[in-house]
Amino acid sequence: MSAHVAPHRWADLWAGRVGTAERALMERHAAACGSCRRTRARVQRASDSFTAIRDQKAPDLAWDSVRARVHWSVSTERRAKVPPPRRWPWPAWAAFAAATAGAVTLALVTGPISLGRDADEAPVLSNAAIHAPSPARAEAPAAAALVGLVNRTTGDVLVDGVRPAEPFARRIVAGNTLVTGDGGVDVQFGEASAFALGPRSRLELRRFDAQAIELVVEGTLDVQVAARAKDQRFTVIAGDRVVEVRGTQFRVQHDASATSVACRHGLVEIGRADRTPRIAVAAAKRVTLGPDERVVPLTPDELAALADATPLSLPMWNPDVFEHGSAPLEIATAGRREIRVDGVELGTGPMRVRVMPGRHTVEAADNAGRFRRAGWVDVAAPTKDVRPARLEIPAEAPPTRDLTARRRQFAGNLDRARLAACTRSAAKQGLTGAYVQLEITVDAQGAVNALNIVDTDLPKLTRGCVLDAIRDTLRFQRGAAATWRERVEL
Amino acid sequence: MLLRVKRDTTGSLAALDPADEADLIERCRADDRTAHDEFYHRFRRQVAGNLYRVLGDRTDLDDLVQEVFVIAFRGLERFRGDARLSTWLYRICVNVALGRIRTRKRRPNAVGMTDLDSAPADPSLTERPETPDRSLERRRDQESVYRALEELAPKKRIVLYLHEIEGLDLKEIAYLVDSNPVTVRTRLFYARREFYKIIAGDAALAGDEPAGAGEGDDA
Repeated sequence: MSAHVAPHRWADLWAGRVGTAERALMERHAAACGSCRRTRARVQRASDSFTAIRDQKAPDLAWDSVRARVHWSVSTERRAKVPPPRRWPWPAWAAFAAATAGAVTLALVTGPISLGRDADEAPVLSNAAIHAPSPARAEAPAAAALVGLVNRTTGDVLVDGVRPAEPFARRIVAGNTLVTGDGGVDVQFGEASAFALGPRSRLELRRFDAQAIELVVEGTLDVQVAARAKDQRFTVIAGDRVVEVRGTQFRVQHDASATSVACRHGLVEIGRADRTPRIAVAAAKRVTLGPDERVVPLTPDELAALADATPLSLPMWNPDVFEHGSAPLEIATAGRREIRVDGVELGTGPMRVRVMPGRHTVEAADNAGRFRRAGWVDVAAPTKDVRPARLEIPAEAPPTRDLTARRRQFAGNLDRARLAACTRSAAKQGLTGAYVQLEITVDAQGAVNALNIVDTDLPKLTRGCVLDAIRDTLRFQRGAAATWRERVEL
Repeated sequence: MLLRVKRDTTGSLAALDPADEADLIERCRADDRTAHDEFYHRFRRQVAGNLYRVLGDRTDLDDLVQEVFVIAFRGLERFRGDARLSTWLYRICVNVALGRIRTRKRRPNAVGMTDLDSAPADPSLTERPETPDRSLERRRDQESVYRALEELAPKKRIVLYLHEIEGLDLKEIAYLVDSNPVTVRTRLFYARREFYKIIAGDAALAGDEPAGAGEGDDA
């Protein structure tokens, strides 16, 4: 054999895929050829290490944290697919009407009706609810106190008249009063149970325990609550009206002029403290309380608005992990932008939102309403030393004209040789195909008012060199003022 | 017939028999949280191990494990049962790893590509009575292998890894990479040629025999 042995043939030889005659030839050649001997030794050492690689065990990870994140992702997707409101078939309506009539008659004869006491089949509300360490009320028998956790804030929120430094670490308990400014606040108090207080609203948690929840509202309150367990009462008090809830999602608006209740799904009943006959508001219906208390269907726009106002409720796989393992993420936007995190629309930013630790993709809507990727952010597990994660989303560049001329001037002035000198060191380390994305503002005189790198995959040192190289060579002629983004492949 | 990859990939837990496996899948489909927990607990080490071995480093390993399980939970509805659950999960791991390799190709790390040296928790390196020199040598050899793998195109890299290191046959690899055995065979042929050529030129593997030793270099 005069030609060298192809390296992969040595691997074939170790694997027994070479015949005896060829094997003898290969060995004979290697005996006389130092290069092939070296190749044989290297291939053998590489092949020997395959076994060690194959036997490697998985390193230990933060398994619980990964599990929580998996659960969060899967559940969030599931929750995003909310089914449309279901229309009841007419026999159900007839049965409901008969039951209501019977109940009203019974109430007139025997006194107050306790709704929900006969709901034997109802699943337990917030079986994963967060309970405070000690009962908040001294009444006997003392029911376990509930605790709410802030999931999302926009704008100012006052708790008992004070702006909390860390609203996400603050436990919302019975007796607290929440007041919002132009924004709102979402509070979760169990699995699939949360409320969102709208702008310029006030909410008092008069009672907040496993037996009863009583919320007194002035302004707008959206509630989504899991099905109640036996002996649990959930009421929203709006003026002299009491809205009693089964598992449902609904909105109560109450101000000096009017009170209205709209129900997205489930069923709510509205009564008075004097126990006059109740009004039932079913899915996709609303009622404005006053002289003419007719229950009317919601329009598609009203239903959509109600869906958009769904309180943010995160999966509560484990209440302890939820409370101590989740962390706030601050999304700062220039101006008001619609925000999406991990594909879930969260409303209008700027906002702070509770997320599980890990990497999250944030998108912001542009002027046309299309969501654009704004970046990703790593959120660490909450500790005292770690500052809350923050992502700043810059303002959209205003639309400008005559960009083509400006782009041409930019491309014509780039000094490629100097840029290559900047990236040479990185290229030697294997970082090729890098890029910088610049934001440039040029005025009508051709002066560069702003030149910033908004995105790149270059290391810090190289980034500075590249920016200097571009800044030194950038020249524009008189023309239209423009602000635009330019991506330079390096 | 169920396709089953030869390798025991069930980690520390005993393998499920087909009836239990079907039951677990049904309960997961019914959105039973305890079933989800059991699924995760049973397969988490297998998934992490597969990803770790394919990629050769543990950077973002927890993110990748999360991705695999999210895909699995999403896809259980469509799982037809034509392969064992562990094999199906292995297939997801391969796809996730492939995606990761492609991303890394576009954005290579500025520093070392493997962190085998910085993986003290790897029991395979501590359970054996090895001398420190031998242990270091072994790690270097493994690094050389991953360095060579890194230079291959992602698809070639995966088939080469599955064949040469995991020891799977063409049919099994074809299922895992969603291709056919003939394509896999062609891809493997070129991958092996390329890989061993890189290995042959790797001076880090030349420790056993100094260059120029022996008589008559270059026949």
